[in-house]
This record gives sequence, structure tokens and C-alpha cells, in this order.
Amino acid sequence: MDLLEPTRYAFYLLFTGDPALWRIIFTSLYCSLAAIALIAPPAVALGFLIAIVSFPGRRALVVFSQALLSFPTVVVGLVIYMLLSRQGPLGFLKLLFTPEAIIIGYMVIAFPVLVVFTLSAVQGADPRVHETARSLGARRLRAAWTTLFEVRFGVMAAVVNSFGRVVSEVGCAIMVGGNIAGLTRNIPTAIALETSKGEFAQGIALGFVLIVLALGVNVALSVPQGEGGMK
Amino acid sequence: MSIVALELKSITKSFPQRELLRGVDLALQSSNSYVLTGDNGCGKTTLMRIVAGLEPASGGAMRFEGVAIDLRRYPETLRRMLVYVHQQPYLFHTSIAHNIAYGLKMRGVPKHQRELLVGEAIAWAGVGHLTDVLPHKLSGGEKQRVALARAKVLRPRLMLLDEPTANLDSDARRQTLALIETLRHEDVTVMIASHDREIIAMPHVERLHLEAGRVSAA
Ligand SMILES: Nc1ncnc2c1ncn2[C@@H]1O[C@H](COP(=O)(O)OP(=O)(O)OP(=O)(O)O)[C@@H](O)[C@H]1O
Ligand SMILES: [Mg+2]
Repeated sequence: MDLLEPTRYAFYLLFTGDPALWRIIFTSLYCSLAAIALIAPPAVALGFLIAIVSFPGRRALVVFSQALLSFPTVVVGLVIYMLLSRQGPLGFLKLLFTPEAIIIGYMVIAFPVLVVFTLSAVQGADPRVHETARSLGARRLRAAWTTLFEVRFGVMAAVVNSFGRVVSEVGCAIMVGGNIAGLTRNIPTAIALETSKGEFAQGIALGFVLIVLALGVNVALSVPQGEGGMK
Repeated sequence: MSIVALELKSITKSFPQRELLRGVDLALQSSNSYVLTGDNGCGKTTLMRIVAGLEPASGGAMRFEGVAIDLRRYPETLRRMLVYVHQQPYLFHTSIAHNIAYGLKMRGVPKHQRELLVGEAIAWAGVGHLTDVLPHKLSGGEKQRVALARAKVLRPRLMLLDEPTANLDSDARRQTLALIETLRHEDVTVMIASHDREIIAMPHVERLHLEAGRVSAA
């Protein structure tokens, strides 16, 4: 099979702004960013709380959250599909096969990633952070905020990681999104389902964009780390 | 006439396997300086942390400037009157100026006044040439001086300094000693836990010794 020709065509599609292609990229970005923006604040807050408040069953909750990290995303998709399907309890919302359904799925997938990464970042913080803040006159809540700010690179890593996970996720997006052209077709579902129909150039172009996105966010994360200072 | 800044009565601290403090009685006169000596692990750090509200005592009573303190519900107002400096101080990963401004911010000091005080404190600590250096890149001695500035800028009634010259090389130690020396002119009570002979020998410093869970004049 000739690889050169579809690759050349892939870049032609990308740089001439092929509307179908860019629509797919837009859908991916929109769903991923919206999901992370919605779920990150409560998930980070929860991870932080689990890290600093001790309560019965905390250990079990941590183990459970860690186990959720390897929960198959296609099963997340299956559950959300059943909830949103016409006969399902949330069927009246008519969200199945919409970008919003994908966003819900992404939120569910990103949630444990954000919680667990935040939790371990805060637990890894030097105990002197909190004590120093308290001794300098910070009240409890303010000292907690200072601690979270001290581990801001860990929290950013949580956000970047969860973004990387959802943006490249296939199973859930196919199940609840349905790969509808111009509506819910996103980068991974297009690659997975359209390539077999002979869309090699599009697949290559999208694969290229996905790699750039995944690498790009990690590079963007490492820049302030180098200057602003990890430990 | 001198007034009592800090008074401790029968402060105890026990761990399941061990009774560390067995009834510490102590009175620090306002604006005086004290050095607290004692073997490693005798409880100097623990005692200071109890006074600073960073650790609970097992029992005993405390008065600060004549006011009885409920050690089980350590008052926030007292936190703002005294400050504890760790043996190895932690500087926030921001900037030197931000570190020194932190406590002032917590006290609601307005920005322009804060900047003024921070500038003075930076000059006092002799770290003016380092303000562009990230705090965690500073040497141990520089960190200690920033931490002292961060504490002193708050004009606390009581400063608790935990082995401020330990683990410092001779130059850094000398600079830190010089800063501590200047505190005698300030209206602040100072308690220093230390094994440093030079601190122990400072003429204006009163010596306290912690041994077998009790404090006595040395
Ligand atoms: N949870 C605990 N259970 C039992 N012992 C403890 C516990 N926490 C601290 N200790 C003991 O209490 C002592 C703490 O002493 P502390 O750090 O106050 O001593 P110090 O006089 O400051 O010593 P140094 O000169 O080494 O700084 C140590 O011997 C430590 O082992
Ligand atoms: Mg100690």
C-alpha cells in the first residue's frame, strides 16, 4: 500500500482547512475541554479533601478511586448509554448521540483521574507547608488553599493527564456519541470507524493532530515547571 | 519593671510509649531573649510547637501576656502574636518577597504598607541581591535568613526559633547569628532552641535547660 500519497493528502486536508476534518477536530476539543472545565473544580476539591480530612473509610475510598482509574471506558459508555437511551431513566433528556452525552462520559472518565492525582499531589506536599502557613497566621481554610497552591504543578498534571485520557478515548465516545458526521464524530471515533472505509488520508491527518495535542499539553505543562520550580 | 510574656504551668506531653514533657514550668519576661538547651530528642521542638499551637499538649496551662490560653482550642488571635520558625524553614515556591509578605497579607495589611515592610525586612536579612532567585534554590543559610525576615516582619510578641544555626556552614551561621543579635533591640521576646555555643554565650540571653521533661534555669 502506498503511504506517501495519503500522507501528502492528509497535510493537504489539514492546511487547506477541510471543513469536515476541522469539524471533527473541533468536536474533540470542545467535548474534552468542556468536560474537564466542568469536572475539574469539584474533582480537585474532592481529592484535596480526601487528602487532608481523615474519616472512617478513607483508605477504602482511596483504593476504590485508584481502581476506577482502570475502569474500562467502554463500560462507562455502556452505562451512560443505558441511562440516556429512550427507555432509560434519563431518556427524557434526549441527550443520547449528542456532544453533551460525550461530555458526560468524559466527565465520568476524567473524574477519578483528577481525584487520584490531586490526592497524591497534596499527600506528597511537605507537612511544613501547612504548619508554616498556620504559624504565619493563616486560618485553616487559607492554609489549605496555600497547600493546594504549593502543589499547583501536581494539580496541573492531573488536569493535563485527564485531558489526555479523554481526548484519545474511543469506546465511550462511540457508544454515547454514535460517530455522527458533523455532530459527534470526533478524532478517535473518526480514525477508528472511517479508516476502514478507506479514509486513510483523514485518518493520518487526525492521528497527527491527536499526537500534537497529547504531546503539546505535556510540553505546555513542563515549561512553567522548569521555571516556576518543582521541588 | 518587666512583665511576663509567656507563662507555662505543668505542661506535659506523652506518647503511648513515652512521657516526653513531665510538667514544664516556665516564665519568659517580655522583650527578653532565651536560649533553650537540652539533649537531642529531649523535647525542645515539641515544647515550642505546643506553645505555637502546632501540636496539642497532653496537659498543663499556658498564659500569654497575662491571658489564660485554652490549649485544647488554641485561639487564632494568639497565632497572630507569636511565630515559630522551623529548624529547616519551608519557603513557599513563589518568591522571596511573597514569602515575607505572606503573614502580613493574613493580617490584612494593605498592599502599599506591605511592600514597604517587605522591603525593610529584605534589607534587614541581607537578601536584597537574591530577590530574583527562586526560594527553593536558596542555600540553607539564605533560607534561614528569609524565614527570620518572614517572622520578624510580623512584629510578633514572641519568636520561637528552632535551632536557627544548625546545619549551616560558618559563613551562613555568622550571618544568621548577626541577625539574631539584632533582635535584642526589638520589642520582642525570643526563645531559641539551640546547641550553638555562641548563642548560649550571648550576654543578653538567659539560659534555660530542658532535661528529663522539665525546664530549669541553667
Ligand atoms: N508520635 C510519637 N510517638 C513517640 N515518640 C515520639 C512521637 N513523636 C515524637 N516522639 C519523640 O519525641 C521526641 C521529640 O523530641 P523533639 O523533636 O521535641 O526533641 P528536640 O529536643 O527538639 O531534639 P533535637 O535537638 O534533636 O531537635 C523524640 O525523641 C521523638 O522520638
Ligand atoms: Mg528539635
